[in-house]
Amino acid sequence: MTPVEWAVLAFVLGSALATALLRDVLASIIAFAAYSLGIAVVWLLLRAPDVGLTEAAVGAGVTTVLFLLTIAKTVRPASDDLFVDVDLTAAGVSALLVAALATTLSALPPVGSSSTPVATSRVTNYYLENAYTETEVENAVTAVLAAYRGFDTLGEAVVVFAALIGLLVVLDRGVLA
Amino acid sequence: MSSSSTADGDDEFSLGNGPDRPYVESPIIMATVRIVAPFVFTLGAFVMFHGADSAGGGFQGGVIVGTAILMIAIAFGVGPTRDWLSASMLTALVVLGLALFMGIGLAAVASGGAFLEYTAIPVAHSSKYGIELVEVGIGIIVSVTVVGLFFALAAGHSNEDDEEVEQ
Repeated sequence: MTPVEWAVLAFVLGSALATALLRDVLASIIAFAAYSLGIAVVWLLLRAPDVGLTEAAVGAGVTTVLFLLTIAKTVRPASDDLFVDVDLTAAGVSALLVAALATTLSALPPVGSSSTPVATSRVTNYYLENAYTETEVENAVTAVLAAYRGFDTLGEAVVVFAALIGLLVVLDRGVLA
Repeated sequence: MSSSSTADGDDEFSLGNGPDRPYVESPIIMATVRIVAPFVFTLGAFVMFHGADSAGGGFQGGVIVGTAILMIAIAFGVGPTRDWLSASMLTALVVLGLALFMGIGLAAVASGGAFLEYTAIPVAHSSKYGIELVEVGIGIIVSVTVVGLFFALAAGHSNEDDEEVEQ
């Protein structure tokens, strides 16, 4: 791990703790946006720029705006405290959950290992070797997304579409704007 | 094209501490958004169109394009932006986006291939252009959804009068 990676991890951990502990909801939302931005950098460091771009745009951008809009419509209790009072039971349950999940960490291959199931899979190598000649796009992620798994992606697009239509139905409105 | 009578509460949209401090009155934010929004919009279009050859694609580009609209709405008020983007245009756009995606898939079927088998379409570089068009379709769906979510949250559940607007 390089110093940059340690710094980003510390930033992500710090902003996550701030999100959970800050009393003011506005401050908590800002900390959450910082957390999303940190996670986006983590994706970038893991050589997944497509995922990082999504995290930065959706997590740090749109989600934050929607949260801000929500609290602008609600009432926030005034308080002079900077942090919330930690509920020890909830903190204990959280710690237990983290400990349970952490037991699976040893099963994961090291980052960048050449012997992971993904890197050695026949499918992966097929995509890397044939994606350009078969689909004429240079980004292998896009080739898989739009060509090899095009039907799945259509499903994803329909899910987003359905979310919008569902929202209109729930709000009982006929138009978008 | 949307009804002129939007909800009364639209212009009270604020991110400040009190309900009486509208964000729209900050000249700094308005000037900044006026300069930055075209660049953000262009970045979104770039990410959408260039996703085939670099990081990005329809989902990411669509969100960035939607963010440019959100920016304008925050700086210049939700109500005016809502009137500027007509409701019927947004509805038409989101349907167009999905129709574009499905249309490409069905065009391949019509050309004798399988659904979304781009190479079956008898056009030069059909795979490349087919994927680009699919990405644009995704981008349109995602950007309209982001903008629609924003407007719906901003308007709340109060105005029933928009129901009469034709789609």
